[in-house]
Amino acid sequence: MSATLDRRDLLKLFTASAFAGPLLLTAADKDKPLFFSKDEFELLDVLSDHIIPTDGHSPGAHDAGVAAYIDRTVAEAFLPDDKEVWKTGLAEINRLSVEEHKRPYLKIGKEKQLALLTTLAKAEQDPKTAGEKFFVNLKESTAYAYYTSDIGIHQDIEYKGNVIQMEFAGYDAV
Amino acid sequence: MLLQFPGPNPNEVDLKPIYDAVVVGSGAAGGMAAYVLTSHGFKVLLLEAGKYQDTSKILHSMEWPYDHPRRGNKPPDYHALTVNEYNIRQQVAAEKSPYPNVQSYVQGWSGTDYSKTLVVDEKQNPYTGTRYAWVRSRAVGGKTNIWGRLALRLSDYDFKAKDRDGYGENWPISYSDIEPYYDKVDLYLGISGHPEGLPYLPDSKFQRPNKLTYSEVHLRETLQGMGRVLTPYRAGVTTEGLKHNKYRSRCYGRGACNRHVGGCDIHAAFDSPTGLIRPAWDTGNLTMRTNATVYEVTVDKDSGKATGVSFLDSETKQSYQVKAKTVILAASTLESARLLLLSKSSLYPNGVGNSSGHVGHNFCEHMMGPSVSGFMKDLVGKPRTNDDGKPGGFYIPRFRNLEGQKKSDFLRGYGYEGSSGTTMLPSSVSTPGFGEEYKKRVRDYAGATIEIGAFGEVLPRYENAVDIDPEVKDAWGIPVLKFSYQFGENERKMATDMAASGREMFEAAKFEVLSNSDEMLPEGWSIHELGTARMGSDPKTSVVNQFQQCHDVKNLLVVDGSTHVNASCQNPTWTIMALCWRSCDHLADQLRKGEV
Repeated sequence: MSATLDRRDLLKLFTASAFAGPLLLTAADKDKPLFFSKDEFELLDVLSDHIIPTDGHSPGAHDAGVAAYIDRTVAEAFLPDDKEVWKTGLAEINRLSVEEHKRPYLKIGKEKQLALLTTLAKAEQDPKTAGEKFFVNLKESTAYAYYTSDIGIHQDIEYKGNVIQMEFAGYDAV
Repeated sequence: MLLQFPGPNPNEVDLKPIYDAVVVGSGAAGGMAAYVLTSHGFKVLLLEAGKYQDTSKILHSMEWPYDHPRRGNKPPDYHALTVNEYNIRQQVAAEKSPYPNVQSYVQGWSGTDYSKTLVVDEKQNPYTGTRYAWVRSRAVGGKTNIWGRLALRLSDYDFKAKDRDGYGENWPISYSDIEPYYDKVDLYLGISGHPEGLPYLPDSKFQRPNKLTYSEVHLRETLQGMGRVLTPYRAGVTTEGLKHNKYRSRCYGRGACNRHVGGCDIHAAFDSPTGLIRPAWDTGNLTMRTNATVYEVTVDKDSGKATGVSFLDSETKQSYQVKAKTVILAASTLESARLLLLSKSSLYPNGVGNSSGHVGHNFCEHMMGPSVSGFMKDLVGKPRTNDDGKPGGFYIPRFRNLEGQKKSDFLRGYGYEGSSGTTMLPSSVSTPGFGEEYKKRVRDYAGATIEIGAFGEVLPRYENAVDIDPEVKDAWGIPVLKFSYQFGENERKMATDMAASGREMFEAAKFEVLSNSDEMLPEGWSIHELGTARMGSDPKTSVVNQFQQCHDVKNLLVVDGSTHVNASCQNPTWTIMALCWRSCDHLADQLRKGEV
């Protein structure tokens, strides 16, 4: 039973984060999130779109419904801590914003928003503060939700597999 | 008329007849024993502790992650143990976990909704002693429902390893003894690969090979200059179809096979239920009893022979006995050893088949962890290709301690498994940073990544062992295994060399190295546990003979990986099946002659 690289490497990436998987719930819409308050959801939506924005190549996290997927995931998380970490993490982003700019994250303008995230991202490999730790969780969760979405797989990555082929793609060993 | 597979409800299965053979376990080994013996015309009762689950219906190979409400992940009340939890202490982590369902680490990245009913619940199935990542499947087909498909032969470098380096014991067989049975397994089950003519990794009877990506072709050419080989993944997958098996389709290169841990819903990849058990069923000679947790091999006090087994219904816990002319253990290396050790009687006070004291000892496997990942600069930002439409990546066979080479500072060898190019969830998502730059890098590097991970031979050592814990019992009241098992100096030295040689190959190919680890993953990680009832000619130092019959009890066979004398560095499934086929042919001959 060979353990594959994918199994091991991606495990490292994703089991550390707060994923527990969502209930069989209907899709949340931004006016009626399943777990987050309306304000929290809006903040999460904007943050996720700052992590993976729309560019000339493909739509970003907002269009891919990343916040809705995270909302569903957190709503059915089994451990209370896995819910709490999102509430406190979002609050920490606003606290940092208010501390530096006297206003919450959504009110400081894109330049300052990205500067705030850039500061947190510097410690991505070794996060220490509450804000730095939340950034890692937010980034990993956003990346997973985005790159497993319809937009992420097809429009951004342009994944060519998962199709029926009479011949394998690639080159012969000679 | 044949009963429809998988037969009646478990508690309606007829246990009154004396079967020619009762087989315990339905994975690669048990399936093979059932197939070979029923084909010879013998009546076989196959006992499986789990249920029958039709993977054709539950796997959904081609479902996109976003079409699953949890993107393929397990329900929220399920928890998979992490590396850290194994390192701290798996037993405590499982026992104290707040989650109602705790399972081994085996996951894939979006396949847990598939595997959640195939791997056991760790709380119901505890074990004690040293840390060990013990992955168990209780379901018809066992771990063949999730296996990684790499199907390799062993050679006399393995069977006669002691002749080369003086360590351990030789097997009581040579490659020439098992070669015809490797051929049979290849032709009956189908295997994909490219012939390389290597004495230390014999070629199989290959069907259409996997193809390589651009970076893999480049690495193959680079390695040729270093006297090493990169060959397309030798997959236990039928790529051209099997005219003799209507339950299995040829491979259609749909790929993303690792997303669901393993498993194949069209059964192009070998699994025991469609590859072996259904053909056995169609002979009309097979009876299958699921939900049968075997806890003892019963013996006759006068003749000393095995008379059958006792089992508990896995749901009702009611006890049953069944009688058979031969008892065949195929419950997996560690579970078969556990059964032998549990079967104590006045005649066999140390457990049946254990007069040598070697049952549970000489436990060995493959060590994993050392790895290299990186990317090929030429491929960064290039248009997307389908790198994923095949059942596996590539394999780099062992290149240490071969004929004519300078001896390493460790014994034996290791191989590297690898993969490259764009996967459905690219490994480049772990790129640091965020924003437009991050997004572009993930996209640009997705097709350029390449990674290899080593599998090394762990030396069999008498002191590496399992025994029955005197106190702890599982959810069925059956005493559990206690592990005394740890990697040693040879493995540590090998791990250092693995990391260095991996980097050396990447640098020779001018790949940019992103990470290079020499850290060993916890014991058990490879899911290749072997050796706890080793074969040999001397009843004082081995448990079974070359036909996997217990020296002490000739009508008791152990046909799984527990009989392997050493682990080699090649993946064991194909060898397990070839040995089992050979032993069951021999047993059939003896049964006909009335010699058992």
